[in-house]
Amino acid sequence: MGLIVKTTARATIPLIGIFGAYIVSHGHLTPGGGFQGGATIAGAGILFLIAFGLGEMKRRYNHHLYSALEGLGGLVFLGAAMLGLGVAFFYNTLWHSGPVFNGEPGTLLSAGYLPVMNLAVGLKVFAGLLSAMVAIAAFRRWNE
Amino acid sequence: MGFIAVFIWSFVLWLVLTAGSKGLLWSPEELVAGLIFSGVIALTTKDIIGEKASRFLNPAKWVGFVVYSIGPLFWGMVRANLDVAYRVITGRIKPGIVRVPVELENDAQYTILSNSITLTPGTLTIDACPEEKALYVHWINVTEKEPANSEVIAGSFEKWARRLGR
Repeated sequence: MGLIVKTTARATIPLIGIFGAYIVSHGHLTPGGGFQGGATIAGAGILFLIAFGLGEMKRRYNHHLYSALEGLGGLVFLGAAMLGLGVAFFYNTLWHSGPVFNGEPGTLLSAGYLPVMNLAVGLKVFAGLLSAMVAIAAFRRWNE
Repeated sequence: MGFIAVFIWSFVLWLVLTAGSKGLLWSPEELVAGLIFSGVIALTTKDIIGEKASRFLNPAKWVGFVVYSIGPLFWGMVRANLDVAYRVITGRIKPGIVRVPVELENDAQYTILSNSITLTPGTLTIDACPEEKALYVHWINVTEKEPANSEVIAGSFEKWARRLGR
């Protein structure tokens, strides 16, 4: 893309990233959550891909890292769900008797495992969507 | 330096988004979460924002941006909107694409000037060519086919862009 698109992308990619992080981390307080925030952050990555081109993206994109991050997101979600396995699967033990995330409802550190799960889902969605877009962009040639 | 620029840039947006979590101010947990998330964003995008982005951390430049946006830019937009309204009613247009030579050095200056020209109705930047030091502008009412500088299209915007983007 041209110079103006590139310069604007330089300035806005961090802003899109922090806004997505805000949506993910406030999923239990405001509209949004893991998927919406993760898709927003993936939008920053796609903006990078479109503004700077596939060559620049290939230099910075590590397939193994993103694959591992996606797996990590899923595992953290599962781990948070298993925390209260003594009572039941998905039992919110952090909220009922946990050491953290059991603050006053309405504050950031409340709602038990929900913020953890939102972060996990956000990470998974970001890594998955961005890898999918890079894979599509790197498709070898246009087939008739 | 890129790290510090991104960190402050994103932390300010975080503060704006989470204002009001404790009265009108910020609760400590929001501040700590903001520090962590800004740190992550800064680590991942520190070489995207550009090597010399930290020059925009200069408070004198922020004052310049505020003065520019509520002064010359806002006034230019009001005037240009009225002018376009006049042209919509009367139909007196003479559209065309002109090449405007400019005296700018870096990307930020080109971006500021191009966005200012596009924001004022009636003129639309089509392309910025730093290698030939020119902008291509679509103009609703061409009065000068080959302008010698950007004065006739953008007024004082080029001077401001040169100062703000330096």
